[in-house]
Amino acid sequence: MTSTTLRPSPGREALSLRRLDHVVVLGANGTMGYGSAALFTQAVPRVTFLARTKDKAQAGLDAAIDQVRSNTVALRADVGSYDDDLEAALATADLIFEAVAEEMDLKISIFDRVEAARRPDSMIATVSSGLSINTLAAGRSDSFRANFCGLHFFNPPNVIVGTELIPNVDTDPEVLDFLEAFCRIRLGREMIRTSDTPAFAGNRVGFKVLNECAQLAEGMSPVLVDRIIGPYTGRALTPLATIDLVGWDVHRAIVDNVYANTNDEAHETNRLPDYMAKLVDAGVLGNKTGGGFFKRKEGLVLDPASGDYVPQDSIAIPDMPYVDEIADLYSQARYAEGLKVLLDAKGDEAKLARKVMAGYISYSFERVGEVCASITDIDRIMGMGFNWAPPSVLVDLLGTANTVKMLSEAGVVVPRAIADADPSTVFFQHPTINRGRFFVAG
Amino acid sequence: MTTPEVYVLGGYQTDFGRNWTKEKKHFSALMNESVQGALEVTGIDPEDIESAHVGNFAAELYCMQGHLGAFFVEAHPSFSGLPTGRHEAACASGSIAILAAAAEIEAGRYDLQAVVGIEQMKSVASSLGGTYLGTAAWYEKEAKGVDFPFPKLFGKLGDEYDARYGLADEHLAEISKINYDNAKLNPNAQTRTWYMNKEHALARDDMNGEVGGRIRLADCSQVTDGAVTVFLASRRYAEGYAAARGLTLADLPRIKGWGHNTARLRFDDKIRESREAEYVLPHVRSTITKAMERAGIADVSGIDAIETHDCFTTSEYMAIDHFGITAPGESWKAIEEGRIALDGDIPINPSGGLIGAGHPVGATGVRQLLDAYKQVTNSAGDYQVADAKNVQTLNIGGSGTTSVSFVVGTD
Repeated sequence: MTSTTLRPSPGREALSLRRLDHVVVLGANGTMGYGSAALFTQAVPRVTFLARTKDKAQAGLDAAIDQVRSNTVALRADVGSYDDDLEAALATADLIFEAVAEEMDLKISIFDRVEAARRPDSMIATVSSGLSINTLAAGRSDSFRANFCGLHFFNPPNVIVGTELIPNVDTDPEVLDFLEAFCRIRLGREMIRTSDTPAFAGNRVGFKVLNECAQLAEGMSPVLVDRIIGPYTGRALTPLATIDLVGWDVHRAIVDNVYANTNDEAHETNRLPDYMAKLVDAGVLGNKTGGGFFKRKEGLVLDPASGDYVPQDSIAIPDMPYVDEIADLYSQARYAEGLKVLLDAKGDEAKLARKVMAGYISYSFERVGEVCASITDIDRIMGMGFNWAPPSVLVDLLGTANTVKMLSEAGVVVPRAIADADPSTVFFQHPTINRGRFFVAG
Repeated sequence: MTTPEVYVLGGYQTDFGRNWTKEKKHFSALMNESVQGALEVTGIDPEDIESAHVGNFAAELYCMQGHLGAFFVEAHPSFSGLPTGRHEAACASGSIAILAAAAEIEAGRYDLQAVVGIEQMKSVASSLGGTYLGTAAWYEKEAKGVDFPFPKLFGKLGDEYDARYGLADEHLAEISKINYDNAKLNPNAQTRTWYMNKEHALARDDMNGEVGGRIRLADCSQVTDGAVTVFLASRRYAEGYAAARGLTLADLPRIKGWGHNTARLRFDDKIRESREAEYVLPHVRSTITKAMERAGIADVSGIDAIETHDCFTTSEYMAIDHFGITAPGESWKAIEEGRIALDGDIPINPSGGLIGAGHPVGATGVRQLLDAYKQVTNSAGDYQVADAKNVQTLNIGGSGTTSVSFVVGTD
């Protein structure tokens, strides 16, 4: 019995819909630029790395070689600058992959040059994680719009396979089918299609949860937040450590965009905490600036109220015996029993963990139809983009009745899809993703 | 009297890309996920299972855990009391477990058997793991004090081909490339997201370092955590299983033929014995032909795809002529003509094999059988070989020591 259906992915036959012998990457010196370019060299005979200067493009190529650990990247790559090489490169490009900085004006000006020099049958994709695909397509020629879409790799693309494909209103379905098949089959991506909504699907759901945890740190130490919303809640990396890793500036850009451009039932959980705004302004950007919530090397943790760092071992951790009990069950792949322990656990910490989990499940299901077509798409991007237990996996393991109870107690919307579901419903519809991989024991 | 049929009812493979140590999982988690996955996929009632065979190489070393048959019982409450056992023959452990289960069905003892192949290898550093693998050779004489002994032994297999017929690195690199390419189509393959191309496989730099003789990193199978469960059934059980699913017995694959030989343990002894022989590893050749003979198949032209034991590119190179795809020593021709690629006339390792899909030692033979099942039931997804009716496996323990082959097909 299923309530969701999996849209069949375009198969090997879709690979012949278009030709892809030459990719030109714009902004190939940036992290997403060289990471994506490296990925393409696996399956595309020629990849051109372009940046403002040839030296910067060369630095991108060097970084690409380091990232994927193969000197052979260079055999398929050439480098150049926008001023000297853009037009010649675009003339033979089958795919133009834009990865310049996330500034609308910059992207528009480079697309002006793309529009002038591209072949009419070339595909154009942007790796943007925040800007509207339709806005970027506005005013372009028919052939540009038909061949243009968002292709959102997550960072670093050689490790994280979850990838979002975002059409504009005029994108040719063949372009989408081809790119989906190519990225899935030739580049090993887990592809999901999303709507052109703020932060698309993965970041919309993921950063809502991360920001909720950042808000919790207004009232308790980050050490405690990451202990309470720990690996046992279905994630390898804890939430505040995740924000430190992705960067506070990136976090801010995403939640600010969502807060400004959406108005959903969890609106206030997308408001950046004031202490984060102040610290970002002061140059605190997470691991890349030596620390954010945590300074691991020094064993320090942020006190959000004062902005000071204090020793991590000075933070009192309440007794949470249920956490070890769950870890022991997970270590034997007894995941449903582990989650049952969480459901039944007493105390404020367990209650908080249930609240965050309930918010994640509720918010995910409520976004279906808005950010993507089915819960399966959100499941796949949360699993393979964030390495979090997909919401459907949690519902399946908890059972629908327990899920409804947990969501009600947490005071979040109980999605109709769950409330109305037959008890035999299996929500997670992805036979090849192992559910167990998301439950780290400890 | 004809031998009773042994049907393959399908099963489940864990994602070979997972690192169960990183997930902080106990050995039993691997067992539980693969068994429960197989029950879910097939819809088999756990109460129907009458016996279980576990194939594993070295859990005592990797996980400080023996008595693995008992862990099958832990996988489901209704298994308490079931007869179980564990089988070991190095990298062929999984196939030995299948042989034992099949024999019990043929003997009429049981109607439904579970076979689990399982290995957790990422629990130790790769160099220590390499030493553990050395116990699949004659440890004292061939592996003691040697770093990564097995790549060196299979490097010697390449050297033997080179001495007898000539061998070009180019052809070994193509074998590697094909396995990695196929693995990209397999959602359970360990290397499906890894960076690989022909140039990298041919690279002679520090990013494709030498491991042993002519064997470089791209020539090697992987260190893998994984478990695979399949169900084998008698005709009687299979009839009911098919009927309940609107199928006929003819729709269900069976093990049509099997071969099994054990050669002398030391590589040098094997080679000495084969000096005057037509094939470099005559016992491997005999395992393959015996399985075909038992299946009533005259030669490799009756086989639609092969899942072979490419622990190194040299072992697949050896398999090509040993299967009879080419004359002895001419494996390179099949590679150059594209015959073993996914769209060739005799695709080898559509799954990606041990190089691409991964090699959890004790699980490999069972994984090969499950992939053969998927091919002949047209359920292999992106790595499906069109119209596959008969698929043959070759699973090898040690340096060509224990070999087992199955022909799986529908009627």
